[in-house]
Amino acid sequence: MLKYTIERFLAMILTLFIIATATFFLLQAVPGDPLVAKTERLSAEQRDRMYAKYGLDKPVMERYIITMKGFLVGDFGESITFPGQTVWSIAHEKLPISARLGIQQMLLGITVGLALGIIAAMKKGSWPDYVVITLSILLISIPNLVFGLMLQYLFAGGVWKVFPTIGWPEGKDLWLGGWEYTILPTLTGCFGYIASYARLLKTSMLDVINQDYIMTAESKGLSQRKIIFRHVLRNSFIPVLTNLPMSVVMCITGSFFVERIFSIPGIGMYYTTAVQGRDLAVVLGWTVLIAAMMIIVIYITDILYTLVDPRIRLRGGKR
Amino acid sequence: MADKKNYTVEDPIGEEVKKFQKGDFTIIGSNAKDSDVIVRPAITYWQDAWRRLRKNPVAMASLILLVIVAIMAIVVPYATGWDLYKVEAINKNQSPSSVHLFGTDAMGRDLFTRVWMGARVSILVALACTFIQAFVGCVYGGIMAYFGGIVDDIMMRIIEIITSLPSLLITLLMMMVLGNGMGALLIAMCITSWCGTARQMRGMIMQLRESEYVLAAESLGASPARIIRKHLIPNCMGVLILNIATNIPGYIFTESGLSFIGMGLQPPAISLGNLLSAGQQLMMFYPSQLICPAAVLCVIVLAFNLLGDGLRDALDPRLRQ
Repeated sequence: MLKYTIERFLAMILTLFIIATATFFLLQAVPGDPLVAKTERLSAEQRDRMYAKYGLDKPVMERYIITMKGFLVGDFGESITFPGQTVWSIAHEKLPISARLGIQQMLLGITVGLALGIIAAMKKGSWPDYVVITLSILLISIPNLVFGLMLQYLFAGGVWKVFPTIGWPEGKDLWLGGWEYTILPTLTGCFGYIASYARLLKTSMLDVINQDYIMTAESKGLSQRKIIFRHVLRNSFIPVLTNLPMSVVMCITGSFFVERIFSIPGIGMYYTTAVQGRDLAVVLGWTVLIAAMMIIVIYITDILYTLVDPRIRLRGGKR
Repeated sequence: MADKKNYTVEDPIGEEVKKFQKGDFTIIGSNAKDSDVIVRPAITYWQDAWRRLRKNPVAMASLILLVIVAIMAIVVPYATGWDLYKVEAINKNQSPSSVHLFGTDAMGRDLFTRVWMGARVSILVALACTFIQAFVGCVYGGIMAYFGGIVDDIMMRIIEIITSLPSLLITLLMMMVLGNGMGALLIAMCITSWCGTARQMRGMIMQLRESEYVLAAESLGASPARIIRKHLIPNCMGVLILNIATNIPGYIFTESGLSFIGMGLQPPAISLGNLLSAGQQLMMFYPSQLICPAAVLCVIVLAFNLLGDGLRDALDPRLRQ
């Protein structure tokens, strides 16, 4: 178990290193120089100083080594478009916003999704089952972009003016206030989770219900409720766990669109703006940071499986 | 199981059987050869899949819907006679009417024509991407399965690295490198998606290579070309089609999303994402400009998703066994 953990950890570091390297060299190929427009009117001396500040006067390989050293000590670079903002200062400012949105979406979406999944599996073949299935197909099929726009139109202006159109709580309301701002974005993002988790848990529960040990439990005379909660649910959670890294991806990917629709000043919004403004230092730093978050989530889930399911552990960590 | 059975009841079937005498039956003849005679015509995998699909009303409805959407997307931009780009300030921001079915946009252009043109672009982009994805995935997966060993390991590691980043992030980076345009968009959207196909193809081919009927074909002296033609391709085809069908909605969504946030196709190029983005700015005053493209986008994605579900039921080898 310990060996497996360490092995996976080393593989994680290697992956991260490769991603950082690949991103660095990919960004070298970006046409245009982010400093050209800024330094147009400056004297040659000042321009040289600007280039020197961002290290852009050095050859590519030297810059690569400087950047990598920076990553090692946690220096992810400074914004070119907004001087003075570093990747860390942006993280400090924007990450809580995106994190709150993501946590709210996932909590609501996964809870409702799992509840619907349990209902669908228990009432298989009757109307609640069909309602849940139809609902999940519909929810999966409607892009969250359209969902967001429609919710915004219906509840924030066009038809009923219930919620503010755009914006996000800041300052002391950062975590636990300004709920009226967060409701629509949260709803927009949570539908995807509801649909995928309801489907996932239902199929997984039906798989487990057909197992022999459930028949054993039934023949022991356990009540339906006890069988579902003690035996079926516990064993059907592994596929659900497997889906967690995917959900984090969904959360990050979704934030690019949702934050744009509702003008939420979070990471997704900032990242797309930086990409559009060709702010290479920020893009590189953030890509590596997001990749690191992703990989750590995958790593933790991998370790979690082995804890949840002894069958994986006994097979020597091979899946 | 717990209900009590009365075992003393006399057996009615036993009584019936006693009525027959030995002479009531004649031997009509049956020999070992007859058991091999094929009574019904053999049904191929595809005929069977098509039969299953046809029995599925939802899948058929979505197929018909898709045909209608395709015809609309092909015909409408030519048939309405409105110019896609010409600005007519007099007609701007009209509500839907018999002249302009979806109304006009902020520059007086007919929205009906533009929405279907956007649908055409979205569908074409999705189809092109799935084609690239399937091609690259098959070749890459085939190479992995064929060489195996260290080549397989390295190529698999590459896939793992690519998939450990959110694909949208890579797409955004590629758009940044390649610039905005149709070609850049296609490459950027395909750069990650082939990984899933490659993995599936590799698994499928490796499983087939170890299967008994391929071994049988080999020991009967079939050439590699024949094995590939007769066994590998038909068996992989189902998985591949399923893979393609389930990926199309994702492409349509990513394309419109990218165009919406200004990273995909940019105006004056028409796409559903651009129309949505323009519609959002005016939605308080002219909701039809938002609702029409949104509705068309929903219908297309929904139809592809439902058809994909139907295809999964019809094609999935695991469900068929």
